[in-house]
Amino acid sequence: MSSDLSALLSATFYEEGYDHLLEPVHQRDAAARRHLASLDVTLYDAEGKPLGAVTVDPRQEVLDLASLVHEHVTAPGRVMAVFDARYDERIFPYRPHHYAYLHRRGSPVPSLYYAVRAALGGVPDRIGATSLNNFENYLFRRRNFAERYSLLLGNLSRFSAAEAQVFTYYRGARLTQEVALGPKAHVEVPLEGRRDGQPLERVELKAVFGLASYVVGRRAAGGDLVLFDHLFPYFK
Amino acid sequence: MNVTPESGELDSLLLCYCTNLTIGDLREACRARRWPLPGKERTGKLCTGCMGDLLYCLRCFGADEQL
Repeated sequence: MSSDLSALLSATFYEEGYDHLLEPVHQRDAAARRHLASLDVTLYDAEGKPLGAVTVDPRQEVLDLASLVHEHVTAPGRVMAVFDARYDERIFPYRPHHYAYLHRRGSPVPSLYYAVRAALGGVPDRIGATSLNNFENYLFRRRNFAERYSLLLGNLSRFSAAEAQVFTYYRGARLTQEVALGPKAHVEVPLEGRRDGQPLERVELKAVFGLASYVVGRRAAGGDLVLFDHLFPYFK
Repeated sequence: MNVTPESGELDSLLLCYCTNLTIGDLREACRARRWPLPGKERTGKLCTGCMGDLLYCLRCFGADEQL
């Protein structure tokens, strides 16, 4: 493969019972359909054990993640799906992202549409990005709409364990949780929705290096996902 | 991962997705005492996602762990 190609490693988390469709980076215009040069998908269980790997036709504009997982795992729990893409920067001169659609089958809860977390690459050097992605935060609405919040965290390293701290803020009070993840391991870190009567205002994630991270909200009754979003760099 | 960077089996793998540095590139640079390579000085410092693996590989290849 040409070393002139740019590289992007992204990750998301699959849960059983959800329709989960990925839109790999692509573009349609009058002249042509533009797509990635290659896309490899690898699946990992919570301990970081590989469950399967597949090379996807990069011309494919929608990838059914649920079907892909079930081709490799009979009774999946939470699965981390890692997308290793190569692309020509002349075609995608901006920092590209995959997007995804998420909906629990049969649920009246609305669908979610989100940008898949880009964890490695995506040419931050060329676009002049200066924000470190190993210190992120997420602000919650004053009136919380999900009863249970958590962070989904995955370590995309091949060799190195990761340590992270999760800080949650409640009008002056701060809680700290320590997280340790082996290579390719992932975890869901519950966040208290209220503390001494005060609602969760903010969560911060601090890690030695960038992790795959999402903030998640679930209905207390039934657990349907109502929030699935990436965190934001702390500094601009 | 059971295979280690020293074995050479992983040389073609991309270590840094921002600077397009492979494990083989890093191993050769360390062997020749030429790390950091010209143009690769920002390895590990951009998206930061590879920093843990970069330090691990530098240790394996006997290089100083300075980024």
